[in-house]
Amino acid sequence: MIRHATGPAALVIIGLLLPGACKKETPAGSGTSASAAPEPAPASSEKQPPPKPELLGNAERGKELVKTFECNRCHAGTGLEAADFHKDCFQCHRDIISGKFKVADTAKVAKWKKNVMMVQHVPSLEGAGKRLRKQWLTAFLEQPQDLRPNLVPSMPRLALSSQQAADVAAYLTAGEPASKEQSWKANAEAGRTLLETRACGTCHLFTGADLPAKPALKQGESNAAIELAPDLRFTRERLSPDTLVAWLEEPEKMKPGTLMPNLGLTKAQARDVAEYILHAPLKPAAVHPVPKRLAKLDRKVSFAEVQEKVLNRTCAHCHGNPDIAKGDGGPGNTGGFGYKPRHLDLSKYSGIASGYVADDGERHSVFSPKDGAPRIVAALWARHDEQAGKPRPDLRGMPLGMPALPAEDIQVLESWIAQGRPR
Amino acid sequence: MKSKMMKSVFAGLGALMVATSGVGEAAACGGSYFPEIEVDFRPMGIAMAEKQLEQGKTAQAAATIVRIMPHVASLNAKKSKLTERAQRVLAVAIARNNGKLDIASEVPSYAQSHWVGKDAKERAANLTFAVNTLRTVNTIKKDDPAVQTELAEALSRVDSSRSEARDILEKLAKKDLIATPEGYAVLAELRAKAGDSKGKKLALKRCEAMASSASVCRTTA
Repeated sequence: MIRHATGPAALVIIGLLLPGACKKETPAGSGTSASAAPEPAPASSEKQPPPKPELLGNAERGKELVKTFECNRCHAGTGLEAADFHKDCFQCHRDIISGKFKVADTAKVAKWKKNVMMVQHVPSLEGAGKRLRKQWLTAFLEQPQDLRPNLVPSMPRLALSSQQAADVAAYLTAGEPASKEQSWKANAEAGRTLLETRACGTCHLFTGADLPAKPALKQGESNAAIELAPDLRFTRERLSPDTLVAWLEEPEKMKPGTLMPNLGLTKAQARDVAEYILHAPLKPAAVHPVPKRLAKLDRKVSFAEVQEKVLNRTCAHCHGNPDIAKGDGGPGNTGGFGYKPRHLDLSKYSGIASGYVADDGERHSVFSPKDGAPRIVAALWARHDEQAGKPRPDLRGMPLGMPALPAEDIQVLESWIAQGRPR
Repeated sequence: MKSKMMKSVFAGLGALMVATSGVGEAAACGGSYFPEIEVDFRPMGIAMAEKQLEQGKTAQAAATIVRIMPHVASLNAKKSKLTERAQRVLAVAIARNNGKLDIASEVPSYAQSHWVGKDAKERAANLTFAVNTLRTVNTIKKDDPAVQTELAEALSRVDSSRSEARDILEKLAKKDLIATPEGYAVLAELRAKAGDSKGKKLALKRCEAMASSASVCRTTA
């Protein structure tokens, strides 16, 4: 299993470069240390978890699971029809941004537009079978990591077992190239130079490597290429050496419609770049700092403040009120993405007070204690733990697939609960 | 002669009807403006009423519902989500006002019906409507503590169903699932009536912590 960027050293990736970004330039350094002579090295010096035996997946079952988990609500290229409009999350966001989404309350749409500006792009799974390693994908589905540092949303932790993850991976990577080992040698130093001269760092980060990179994403502005560009440190786990070379030579051939430009590399050059990406020594991955839990506030906290700072920011989008949404209260209420209906409505006072339906089929309070905190608060902290690479097996971090809330906002919620949850 | 005249009159009226039948909506209103596209104000109105109810403006919430849906009592909640929501607001408002809605100044007299609860008979009818409505909503929602809390509120206003109300609230309280301060106020009242003064105090304490206004937690017992 891959653990927050400290997983077994492996393969490559590629990503997305702005077509116009391939001119020679020397981006500002990322401040990473330099060991100029690349040599085969593990991804980090951190302790590696014992390798997990590879589960054989069943592609047929995987196809059914892709339907169950509704992967097409976010991703293209799943082999399923596009989701209906009201279930197609990212298309809805894009329609809000483009002005196609029409509702009478224009002020509301303007507010939504701000909220979804950085939640409009999602990687397509088109051609995943030609690129991705099944073993990596299985591990990623089980424990998603922050693969794309400039993308605000990330892959949520789905409610799937190891076997189910292997099944989905088997379906999505059907046709995975047989060759997994590197059968050629190349010049890593030349590859590093090429990465710099082709300005790969315009979109890609290569954390832990000695490669200047500084994707420039302006505050509040969206740029698909930069947002979707994966961190190159994961490439060695995701792609086989030959796949990486083929991708670098002709990305469009492997993934039609990709934003990764054809860099015009010769095979030898592609191998040099691949050599560097696959074998450059990497410093340990930076660990997401889990902030300190703050003491409860002395001042009064109203429900309106909790709504503004916590519930309405993200929670109520998935834990909504089905009565005002044609019966669909979102995955956290009426179910979806393979999640059971929890019937939790965080859009209003009586909703949060009404609790959720747990695995035992009974209603429970979201304020019941869980590891020294009200359960709803524990779920928000669990998201910090997930981002730090320590997912909790008994508690899924919230907000699902979105950045953890700042400690100050969690403090507001916790203080409100401690004050007796005033309406 | 007379029948000839009558025939002419009827022919003339028929011609007039034919002539005006193809005229647009504006002309149908005597030339004054009449919108071609009608807007259904119920969704916005019901949402507003729900908000008013949450803010403790119970009579206003009921008035909003009765104004936009004067025939609300005759509709079937199982057939329409809007009806379910509208009837629920009205039922809760009735329960919180013990069957008497102070809506006379906000609702035209022709629509007030028995909602104002001018005598004991009307108030009892209103409370019966509230209980029946919330039972229906409870059946639709199956397992929703917010609806159960509201149903218990309505049941507590009817002598014969007070013990049922208490059962519901005690079960919810055990799991910390009473959804509103009003629910705790009713529980305090029911515990007091049953001689449980310690339990009353506990319920009142919860009510006071949750309520934005102390008046919510004033009990009659």
